[in-house]
Amino acid sequence: MILTGRDGQVLWDPAGVTPGTPVLIVSINNFKLSLKRNMIDVSCFGDVNRVYVPGLKDVSGSVAGFWNSEDTALVEAADMDTPGLLKLVPHAAEPTYFWSGLAYMDADIDTSVDGAPALSGTFSGGGPWVREPIVP
Amino acid sequence: MPDSSAIDAGLVALLQADAQLASLMPDGVYMDIAPPGLQRYVIVSLVIAEDRATFEGRAIEDCLYLVKAVMLTTSGATGIKEAAARIDALLEDRPVVADGYHWMGGYREERVRYVEIDETDSTIRWQHRGGRYRVQMTPTPTSTLTTKG
Repeated sequence: MILTGRDGQVLWDPAGVTPGTPVLIVSINNFKLSLKRNMIDVSCFGDVNRVYVPGLKDVSGSVAGFWNSEDTALVEAADMDTPGLLKLVPHAAEPTYFWSGLAYMDADIDTSVDGAPALSGTFSGGGPWVREPIVP
Repeated sequence: MPDSSAIDAGLVALLQADAQLASLMPDGVYMDIAPPGLQRYVIVSLVIAEDRATFEGRAIEDCLYLVKAVMLTTSGATGIKEAAARIDALLEDRPVVADGYHWMGGYREERVRYVEIDETDSTIRWQHRGGRYRVQMTPTPTSTLTTKG
């Protein structure tokens, strides 16, 4: 079902165990997950076009929202040397549809005189990721 | 989610509660239009209000208000300059209290000053002085969570 993007969720468990107990990070209004695969060029003599085979799938992305002093999970995650458990839910009304896995986080704070301080971060896979539910 | 009109009311209440401004503009503080017959008053108008959302709901209400002292020139009274300065002192980086909100920030974006010729009597002049003030409020966490259930 197509739903609005207003009710996504980003959850985080710094313990970094699965399934873990990830907790909602508040004041987030955007996340992006990239699952691109690198493609290996295996073109040979005689091929009429380039030919590729897929390599490993990447897991990386970003989260963004507003700095909120009542929830510093994201900036604390940026200090961690071990991966935590990140869970990304496109819509809270469909909580069984999500991606999750171990990830390393970093954070950026962008403060300007005419706006609210913005908080953003990127993540990179730090272990296996799963997509739920698995639909055959 | 709290009632956004509470921000308007909080801003008006802040201005109304100030004795110094009341002495300069004794006819009161009003949203948009003052009652007829008044000569020295303050008008507050909402110019634009933009909402900024997070996944939990509305996170920031970013409001721009026109706040100005209005005075009939032929009344013989002075004080338009002082009233504008007092409005600025009350609103520049000073918290607005509104039910269901935390104040985030407030500052003047533009100064306003002009003279208006009365529509019915061209010998009468109205002085307008004040500014456009940015008021940024965030719903309290309880308010946001209530809406999302």
